[in-house]
Amino acid sequence: MILPYYIAIPLLSAFLISLIAGKKDEWAVLLSTTAGASMLILSIYSLIAQNGETFVYKMGFWSLPIGIVLVQDGLTCLMLVLVSLISFTSLIYSVQYIRHMDRNWKYYALFMLLITGMNGVIITGDLFNLFVFMEIALFSAFALVAYGGHAEEYEAAFKYAVMGALSSALVLIGIAILYSATSTLTLAKIAEKVPTLDPGLIFWTGGLFLAGLGLKAAIMPFHAWLPDAHSSAPAPISSMLSGVLIKVLGIYTIIRLYFNVFNAPDFYMQVFLVLGAVSIILGGLLSIVQWDMKRLLAYSSISQVGYILVGLGIGTRLGILGAVFHLFSHAIFKSLLFYNAGAVEMALGTRDMRKMGSLARVLPITSATSLVGTLAISGIPPFNGFISKLIIIIALIKAGAPVYAILAVIGSILTLGAMMKMQRYGFRGETEIKKISEKIGWRMNTAMILLAVLCLLTGLMLLPGIRESIVDPVVKVLVDHSQYMQLVLGR
Amino acid sequence: MATNPYIALILIPILVGLFNLVLPGLLKKILTFLGMALTGFLTLMLALDPDFFEWIFEVPYFGLDNLGTFALAGTQLLAFIILIFTLKGVDKRIEKSFFVLYPLTVGFCNGVILSDHMIAFMVFWGLSGVMLYLFNLLGRSKDAPESARKTFMLIGGSDACLILGFVMLGFAIPQPSWFITDINVDLTGSAAIVSFISLLIAALAKAGGFPLHTWVPSYAKEAPVESVALLPASLDKILGIFLLARIVTQLFQCPLLIHMVLISIGAVTVIAAVMMALVQHNGRELLGYHAVSQVGYMIIGVGSGSPIAFAGGLFHLINNAIYKSNLFLVLGSVEKQTGTNELDDLGGLGKNMPITLVMALIGAFSISGIPPFNGFFSKWLIYHGLLDMAREATAGYEIWLLACFILAIFGSALTLASFLKYLHTIFLGKRPKKYDKIREAPANQWLSTGLLSVLCVIFGLFALEIPLPKLILPILEENGMGSFDYGLYKSKLIFTMMGVGFVIGWIIYLLIRKVRLDDVYLGGMDALEKFRVTGTEFYQEIRRMKPLSTIYDWVEKKWLDLYALLGGASNTIARLFQKAHPGLLSLYLFYIVLGMLVLMFIRN
Repeated sequence: MILPYYIAIPLLSAFLISLIAGKKDEWAVLLSTTAGASMLILSIYSLIAQNGETFVYKMGFWSLPIGIVLVQDGLTCLMLVLVSLISFTSLIYSVQYIRHMDRNWKYYALFMLLITGMNGVIITGDLFNLFVFMEIALFSAFALVAYGGHAEEYEAAFKYAVMGALSSALVLIGIAILYSATSTLTLAKIAEKVPTLDPGLIFWTGGLFLAGLGLKAAIMPFHAWLPDAHSSAPAPISSMLSGVLIKVLGIYTIIRLYFNVFNAPDFYMQVFLVLGAVSIILGGLLSIVQWDMKRLLAYSSISQVGYILVGLGIGTRLGILGAVFHLFSHAIFKSLLFYNAGAVEMALGTRDMRKMGSLARVLPITSATSLVGTLAISGIPPFNGFISKLIIIIALIKAGAPVYAILAVIGSILTLGAMMKMQRYGFRGETEIKKISEKIGWRMNTAMILLAVLCLLTGLMLLPGIRESIVDPVVKVLVDHSQYMQLVLGR
Repeated sequence: MATNPYIALILIPILVGLFNLVLPGLLKKILTFLGMALTGFLTLMLALDPDFFEWIFEVPYFGLDNLGTFALAGTQLLAFIILIFTLKGVDKRIEKSFFVLYPLTVGFCNGVILSDHMIAFMVFWGLSGVMLYLFNLLGRSKDAPESARKTFMLIGGSDACLILGFVMLGFAIPQPSWFITDINVDLTGSAAIVSFISLLIAALAKAGGFPLHTWVPSYAKEAPVESVALLPASLDKILGIFLLARIVTQLFQCPLLIHMVLISIGAVTVIAAVMMALVQHNGRELLGYHAVSQVGYMIIGVGSGSPIAFAGGLFHLINNAIYKSNLFLVLGSVEKQTGTNELDDLGGLGKNMPITLVMALIGAFSISGIPPFNGFFSKWLIYHGLLDMAREATAGYEIWLLACFILAIFGSALTLASFLKYLHTIFLGKRPKKYDKIREAPANQWLSTGLLSVLCVIFGLFALEIPLPKLILPILEENGMGSFDYGLYKSKLIFTMMGVGFVIGWIIYLLIRKVRLDDVYLGGMDALEKFRVTGTEFYQEIRRMKPLSTIYDWVEKKWLDLYALLGGASNTIARLFQKAHPGLLSLYLFYIVLGMLVLMFIRN
């Protein structure tokens, strides 16, 4: 059983880095990239080998309800691959980027703790355990946002910490209420008892979880912390936050709780649709007026999370497929775009697009890959963003919600508007840039090229043959709400 | 495993483009030439024998009906002839990228035409839009990126509408289907109407119809001229009108009111764009506005629902692609020799570039609808169709149709006026001294424009023998639109009469030739070059005329530019929301509490 390794490897790496890394970062880089690569290999292996089955690991061999279980199903495998992939590329990218910031090994230790937290959230089958891992990830994220050491970054980290604490408090109250009603913290056991609970209790705890987790996922109106935090963090951390953290702590947890525990209550499905549509439109609009490249991308993340939420809100097989695929796609192209923004910031020393210029000659790989990211996030065929948005629109039409489909299309045009602004001013400005302050090295370029290629290739995940083994198990777990509970409890 | 040979028409150009990424210069050109020749040959075989590929055709995603054959033939013909122009003279700095994008564009356009499956259609449609953006970025001026942004916003935005339209359409029939040929719905009910509007937006944006046309003049000004001839002048028109024809003949059963709306959009496109063309000082922008204006005729014809006007609309599509690409390439030749496309800087080049002048004349006559050139007969068919419709319509519709008819005729007259200015400012008048040593364009360039000019003549003289019966009438038959009477027009008779008139005029000229040629004087001295009359001011009176001056002012302020209007509106709304994000932690905490309260309130 390899499930515990997803927690053990990054956690051990974090401690080893703290212990053996000296003033230079070589050991930290070696340890963290080795850990990242091994987790990527393990997660890909799990994804291929899972064959639609659910595996349960009892920690310390304690049985339920006393012990804590780790669970691996289709959704877990996909999320682990996503976290491992973005972490690995971010680590490769970080080597030059963090050296450029003149910082040391602490970054890598915090990075490993961040991964520990996210992996823990993904694989745990226990609600309080999930909360603890969530806090581990959040505290690492607070520190990483402030990592640059400037006043602006401290302020962003402080805001993030205050709002993160509020969201954690809301989630904790929700957990307490559920525990008092069910006397258990195991997700599967709670799911078993949910049909016997008062619907009013489900509603109130659902509301608390939605506010708490919605804050972590940056769903409107719980989104306001995100632009400050994501734009202030170092670029590879921005990509981790926008690419995977908001999805793991927010969306993934919402999926687990609302679909596998609460049995997808209709009221909350409607709320997902409404909040998703509001996020799509307002996030898109707000991104258009930004001149800070990373802030533009951060607002666009709010809009893209809206698509995932709308897909979930439809609740049909196709809607969930679209949501999960968009979750995966968005992690790839948004991370790529943050890498691009980081490369530009490193080369020019600014994030203000009004001060940028024509970069196609001096940063050809960054420019070309940013165009790929732009086309993908704007839903231009044949990139992955096109496929996921198409599936969501089809699902909306099929479910008889054409108004939401029209809003999704308007959101897509707004995204295109914001991204074309980035292309126009960030990469194709009037000023001919002839000299850059620092050359973009092979590591950063490799990370960008890898994700750009994946923007195209991940569309193939929906091809017959691949879809059945990778995507369908994920959808099956979510469509059949009680399957998770039955498999974990061995019924 | 079954294979679909139609895929060859998509794959060959795409593979050529990919090989061109690594091939050196000459090989790149040879490969592109051979690729275009091969796909052109395959298309010809398909046009001659629709069952040419039938013996191994199995996969259903791609297919070809008569409308597709027509569009494919147009695409291949123009792509091949324009390629000849590009073989020598493309800006060295962009040559590598150009010969990658060129075949890819042709492959993607072929893909659109051949796709029977909606998703394949959307993918190729989107990719052809990306090519447009990338070509625009190859422009060397500082305004090229802004032009590319505008182009892609309109084209990419309309792609999103295409997706919505197709998806809604696919589920509007009892047995949902992704195959275009399976769909035929009555234009009633909100789903069908939203789908129709979405697809119409996509078609109009691609073809450059009002009010989604504004990318065409800016693209025409900023992008490499060869790409302008290829895309907005030819292939994008073909794709846009191809989709419009699918919409009105196959996908929807449209009531008369919808046809009237389409005719009106066409008439407004004709007149609005030609009025703008009249006052342009830049040659490419002038042609760009004419490219839009001519789309108006196609929309009138194809959207009218009248069989004869439909045939005229499709015929005008291919005619326009031929003469418009010719006119852009002629200007390209001039631009490459002189280094400018500003009409104020040009003049008197007819003697230096006589062959180019002849090509420009043929193109100008064709676009202005002078018989017997091709542009005349296609417009004739459209007018004929409108009058037929008016005759059979009720009083209200009759007046409406006649108003559109008058606008279309007036547009044609203004086109002629505009091209008098175009010809005069480039080829006639006094030549600036700096152009004394300008030479005729290279052979490949006038061979390309020459072929297009010959087609203008052939499609005019032999309209009833070649393009109409071979390519267009089969489309009408396939869609059950029946036969019609061409009217009194006899192209060869008109050609003979015009020829005789020209010969008589020439004889008279030879007999009484008394022409005094002299320099221009001003204040008793030789006029300085700065006092040279360029001809760009010909129609400034129209610009100053009330109430037209007000409309021109609005246009200059971009009050009628949908792109600018929507951009401005979204920015204004977004700034309001931006004010709600001042970075205050207390305010953000308030939002969270408010959000929770709203959630509870809804539930209760």
